[in-house]
Amino acid sequence: MAASRGLWRTCSLVSSRTPLLFSTAVRPHSSLSGDLVPRTSLSRPPWPQHTSLEPQEQEAERRRHAALVNTVNQRIQQQDIGRLFAVVHFAGRQWKVTGEDLILIENHIEAECGERIRMEKVLLVGAEDFTLIGRPVLGKELVRVEATVVEKTESWPKVHMQFWKRHRFQRKRIIVQPQTVLRINSIEVAPRLT
Amino acid sequence: MTSRGTPSRFLRSVLQNGLGRYVCQLKRISIIFSKTHPSSLGVREYIEEGVVDYAKKNPGTVVYVSPQTSTVPKIVAEYLNGNVREEIVICKTPQQISELFTKLTSQSGLDIIRIRKPIHTDSPSIQGQWHPFTNRPPSIGPIKPQKQLNQS
Repeated sequence: MAASRGLWRTCSLVSSRTPLLFSTAVRPHSSLSGDLVPRTSLSRPPWPQHTSLEPQEQEAERRRHAALVNTVNQRIQQQDIGRLFAVVHFAGRQWKVTGEDLILIENHIEAECGERIRMEKVLLVGAEDFTLIGRPVLGKELVRVEATVVEKTESWPKVHMQFWKRHRFQRKRIIVQPQTVLRINSIEVAPRLT
Repeated sequence: MTSRGTPSRFLRSVLQNGLGRYVCQLKRISIIFSKTHPSSLGVREYIEEGVVDYAKKNPGTVVYVSPQTSTVPKIVAEYLNGNVREEIVICKTPQQISELFTKLTSQSGLDIIRIRKPIHTDSPSIQGQWHPFTNRPPSIGPIKPQKQLNQS
């Protein structure tokens, strides 16, 4: 229980490791609350906020971060993280997916039916106890989300009607657009968190 | 014009297709055409050019070619879930008929009606439902009444 409490939020530092980034990412409102937002009861959290850390506190923070990353890496390596979910940027929108999901895309894609594709823009991966948040995207060697093209079909005929009253104007268009159904096969995380 | 009154369904797939391997859902496709009528000229050309290639490329699909007298040319596709789709191909070119074949092959046979949501998931929540204390660091301590705001 204590370990899962300690894992309340994790930021992935795949590219660069700077200890100050972690502390700023935890409190993103600290720079905003000056002029942009009027001061109300909701503009800042009710607990006191620390803007600058002492060097000893920085050291403690860094050590805590290292312990956290170590714990998460061990969890991933032991494979007891349970079901994973991911937020994937695909076809212009963000999808929250887990394994065995179906998603419908309102366009055709290049892959044929039955082909496996890999979704590379992974914005977030979460397990029951921890969450890895990309800035903005998690690395390719860290996360692997795979999907299968299950169906390539067409939408139902949508009627697009324009009507201008008292002007003897009406247009009717029937729109059928291609659709693709994807099945999410697997979400895998490698224990390479730094 | 709203679409609320139209028939609708949720997104699904036939028998969890794609979880293990992908199975082509088109079971049987039959081409019905006339040997003499000019409206089935494109179908006859397609039978000469492309049907054998199609049948070789899709070994899971049975292709029937049945010439009949004085009928409109059509393509009847039967799917694994029992649905049957008929497409009338009067005066279509072989190119169009080939596109129609690929479209019918890649469909799953479910009804083409309005789909209510673009996602389907069996496990909607992994970390539990969000509430205002989710991800709140335990170092903060329990919530107390806000004394500063009350005084000022």
